[in-house]
Amino acid sequence: MNTRKPDASSLQPNELEAVYAISRAIAETLDFDKALANIVKLARPVFIFDNAVLYLVNEKGSLEPAFARAIGRGRSSEADSAWGEVAANEAFTSGRNSLFQPDTKPEADRLQQRFYLGLPMLLSGKCIGALVFIRFGGPPFTKEQIHLAEFIAAHVTQVMEHKRLVDRVANLEAERRLTRMQSEFIATVSHELKTPLGFIKGYSTTLLRKDTHWDAATQLEFLAIIDEETDRLTELVDNLLDSSRLQSGTFDVEFRSVDLASLVEENVGRLQSRYPNLNIHWKTKGSDYLVEGDPKRLGQVIDNLLGNAAKYAPNSPVQISMESSVDQVKLSIQDSGPGIPEEDLAYIFRRFFRSAGTKDKVRGSGLGLYICDQIIKAHHGEIHVKSAKGAGAEFIITLPRQKLPQPA
Amino acid sequence: MVTRILVVDDEPRFVRLVEANLQTEGFEVIKATNGKEAVDLTVAEKPHLILLDVMMPEMDGFQACERIREFSTVPIIMLTAKGDEEHRVRGLNLGADDYVVKPFSANELIARVQAVLRRAQKQTSEFSEPTFTRGDLSINFARAEVIANGQPVSLSATEYRLLLQFARHAGKTLTADELLRNVWGPEYSEEKEILWVSISRLRQKLEKDPKNPELIVTLSGEGYRMP
Repeated sequence: MNTRKPDASSLQPNELEAVYAISRAIAETLDFDKALANIVKLARPVFIFDNAVLYLVNEKGSLEPAFARAIGRGRSSEADSAWGEVAANEAFTSGRNSLFQPDTKPEADRLQQRFYLGLPMLLSGKCIGALVFIRFGGPPFTKEQIHLAEFIAAHVTQVMEHKRLVDRVANLEAERRLTRMQSEFIATVSHELKTPLGFIKGYSTTLLRKDTHWDAATQLEFLAIIDEETDRLTELVDNLLDSSRLQSGTFDVEFRSVDLASLVEENVGRLQSRYPNLNIHWKTKGSDYLVEGDPKRLGQVIDNLLGNAAKYAPNSPVQISMESSVDQVKLSIQDSGPGIPEEDLAYIFRRFFRSAGTKDKVRGSGLGLYICDQIIKAHHGEIHVKSAKGAGAEFIITLPRQKLPQPA
Repeated sequence: MVTRILVVDDEPRFVRLVEANLQTEGFEVIKATNGKEAVDLTVAEKPHLILLDVMMPEMDGFQACERIREFSTVPIIMLTAKGDEEHRVRGLNLGADDYVVKPFSANELIARVQAVLRRAQKQTSEFSEPTFTRGDLSINFARAEVIANGQPVSLSATEYRLLLQFARHAGKTLTADELLRNVWGPEYSEEKEILWVSISRLRQKLEKDPKNPELIVTLSGEGYRMP
């Protein structure tokens, strides 16, 4: 194997300059194609060649072209030109330079007289490919030129290794992100499941204690907690199922004519029984709020958004506004609570995302807004959020208007 | 004497559950909702037992347990939703006496509390002064605060642990090997330079004249000592 390191002392000043320029070009760019194109361009004034081809070893262990440039004679012959596969293979398998130089015959077609120089790309004793330079009609490669070509090949090897490492890091990063998200999800879900279970188990075994007696009021207090925690567990399981149905595309939506205003009203009533201190203001513009939609799913969205306002902005008044026009109905739910940090706004509709600031304070699975977004999308509508830290949060839904069939 | 139990959990519903069950057994219950409050109440109320939840905002149960152990031997039972070995071992290593994995039954909780209290009765819990003073240096273990020459000093976690070694063993000579093992871990026992740098930094922060140290003195060939 050729382990001789290229030695700069034998280079001419202009060659040395080109080599430095190549080094700089490599250091400055992370773009692999650009770096190679740059190397070819910078090498060209000090090193004559017509075609240059870079072959890299593929997963099967054979060479495959990764980059090619035809810059001199023979550009016109396109695919019929010479691409030096033999020279590349020899350099690759032997780990040494390979040189093919025909006897020059002045009368012959220059394009048929091909001079090949193949250079192995060696990286810590391993050959990762070969670089081939081709000259049509000579002149033959001199010892000095071969030496310069070795420099270029060494640089190209560095570029390739750099690219390989950058790709590898990017892949590992992506894998790590995925693993982290999955394990965070499992941790969150198991915590979310165990918390209500902990209460149900704790309070029911408390009531079942044989060695003590609880007065009626305390019994009712504990039973009410068990009841609420059971609801919470059900809600969480439903959310998990919905989320996985959405993922697998088996989420069902049954369209029919829905009056969005009465739907909101129903949900407000239900929520007020859960949060008696909830202070809700209504504002409506227009009168007809009929849309084409699934009342159960849309109710789920409204319940979720109102529930979030009650959970994340406790003691803050909630403003509900509705607006209808010819082609759409707009619903806005706005609180004046702590708001959502700007950096989180882009992520809040993502599955499992939870804002770092509230994650430890308010219980949740990171599924609610994801499900809302998906339901609204299934209705061909839009949901978006306006918020800033300390300035409350507003969720705005626009749903396309129902097109009622005209009576004949 | 009434047995006082400090219950620490960020879920009011959970505190209520534990409180109701403990009161039937004649215990007095005091409540905290995060680790910080727990440490403060431990100093103020000197409870006979602490039930400490792990996952809490502000300061979690592990941190609170570690902090409390710096000045008290009061029995601590960790309450954790994570029953995996790593979690349990971590709590016990930090000085917890027992752990209960959620969800648990009321009877189990009461039984554990009584078992830990029985064991603890054989020796009374110690509450050393949560502060330590030497010359112009004072350390508040409960708050992990250090004041030197009348000024609050900001120490890194490692520097604080190193300082605690000297404070706990004031008057005793500590070898470089002991300090490295106790503060950095056994794999660092050869890394003398890291100790030298850290002691030098501590002196810069604490000593009136770091060139003539009075709080952490070098005993050539033996080790270091806080006189």
